[in-house]
Amino acid sequence: MATPSKVVHVPDPEPGAYNPNRLAGKLLQSQALHLREALIKHMTELAAVISVDPRSLKTEGDFGNYAKKATAILHTHAAVSSGR
Amino acid sequence: MTAGLDNLKHIVVLMMENRSFDHMLGGLSLVTDNGAKKYPKINGLTGNESNPDTAGKVIKVQPNAKFQSQLDPDPDHHFPGVDLQIFGGAPPGPGRIPTMQGFVKDYFTQTKDMNRSHNIMSYFTPDKLPVLSTLATEFAVFNGWFSSIPGPTICNRAFAHYGTSFGQVGMDVFYVLDPIPSIYERMIQAGHTAKIYYYDQQSSTMEIVNLLKNQPEIFASYSQFIADCEVGTLPEYSFIEPCYNDHPGPGGGEILASDQHPDHNVQEGEKFIARVYNAIRTNPILWESTLLLIVYDEHGGIYDHVPPPICTPDGYSAKPSDTETGEAFNFDRLGVRVPAVLVSPYIPMGTVVPGTENVANGRVFEHACIPATVTNFFLKGDAKRTVREKKADAFLDFLSDQKRPDADVPYFKLGGK
Repeated sequence: MATPSKVVHVPDPEPGAYNPNRLAGKLLQSQALHLREALIKHMTELAAVISVDPRSLKTEGDFGNYAKKATAILHTHAAVSSGR
Repeated sequence: MTAGLDNLKHIVVLMMENRSFDHMLGGLSLVTDNGAKKYPKINGLTGNESNPDTAGKVIKVQPNAKFQSQLDPDPDHHFPGVDLQIFGGAPPGPGRIPTMQGFVKDYFTQTKDMNRSHNIMSYFTPDKLPVLSTLATEFAVFNGWFSSIPGPTICNRAFAHYGTSFGQVGMDVFYVLDPIPSIYERMIQAGHTAKIYYYDQQSSTMEIVNLLKNQPEIFASYSQFIADCEVGTLPEYSFIEPCYNDHPGPGGGEILASDQHPDHNVQEGEKFIARVYNAIRTNPILWESTLLLIVYDEHGGIYDHVPPPICTPDGYSAKPSDTETGEAFNFDRLGVRVPAVLVSPYIPMGTVVPGTENVANGRVFEHACIPATVTNFFLKGDAKRTVREKKADAFLDFLSDQKRPDADVPYFKLGGK
């Protein structure tokens, strides 16, 4: 990038602007509801996989199906925790 | 086709929260240079716009907007409140005129304080907002970009992803039942690339539950956006979310909300816009191949003087019980006007896109224009979408043949006082 001639200074907010104790508004309350709804699907998926007794799996197809569901859930969690 | 369009490879949308056009950019119209208006084409404020308060006193717009602690409680921006703001309390029915005379009255219902209700008429002078004002005057500003619905965040943001809110006018959790794919699905299914970058996990996403639940692969963090800009791996379409809450950072630092939603700090939002711009600006290949749109999801209950126009319905209808006005809403009128600025080195300095004030040449934009533009450009219009989106205007024709030299475009230096 060539040296810009139009440098615009952007000031910081005043000290004290940070307030994690500010009461959450309707937007954040709605966001939490939406996140909860999204989680329910994962709980259902997780519960469905956990409820399967691995000893009940007989065929390679059964194992493949089980592994696919388990891996998909684990992969999602791994992706999130590694910041991807 | 212009050189700007020929070089275009990335469209980036940064959607901020809850500020009206007049509140953020209306003061540009009052800037003078040797006694003449410096920006005569911008449809901002004259200084004489007003609203009556609940005692009947005329309250003019005031250049006294504060970065924080002025619009608390959060001004009403749900459907019935916005109806009052636009129509001044006229009962629902045919032939109502959008007078924009109900903003102070509506804010009084929340503040219960006459003087504080006047704060809804406040606006920033351009020197207070060096980032947004600079980008608006250096590149292109839209006189007529409106929120898609006279209502709150979630349904307005849905228009940016789907070109419709599927009949919703509120904040409730809803599911997409109709076969209108999101712009991300459209892009990925056609072999293109698209991402939503949320700020971090504490801030998370404000996008509708369907996207987060069923398509986690389209999400990434803001730090990934910065990395993608640095190494040149930005997707063809990116949607960026600011930080929505104050929370501790890694190692105990302070992370401020940067969405500018009242009562969050407006200066922090300015810094965030500057960071996004700088990230693109500092990669020369990315800079000349990217179109950046900075737009606000809705007006947040804050005054604007331009009546929202009627629009093409999207085929849905919201029931009277959902609108809470006693009347159904057929998605045939837009919401209140919001700031929208388009940035590229191929946009001539000082471009002003005329809006409803220009009867002959004015153009109307709203959030359905976002998926419409992306679909038209990357997918040649090939996607199932609503009539509303099909008729939405695209914002690609502002790219010219001439690339402005680096020294001619601004760079933001962050920090300090």
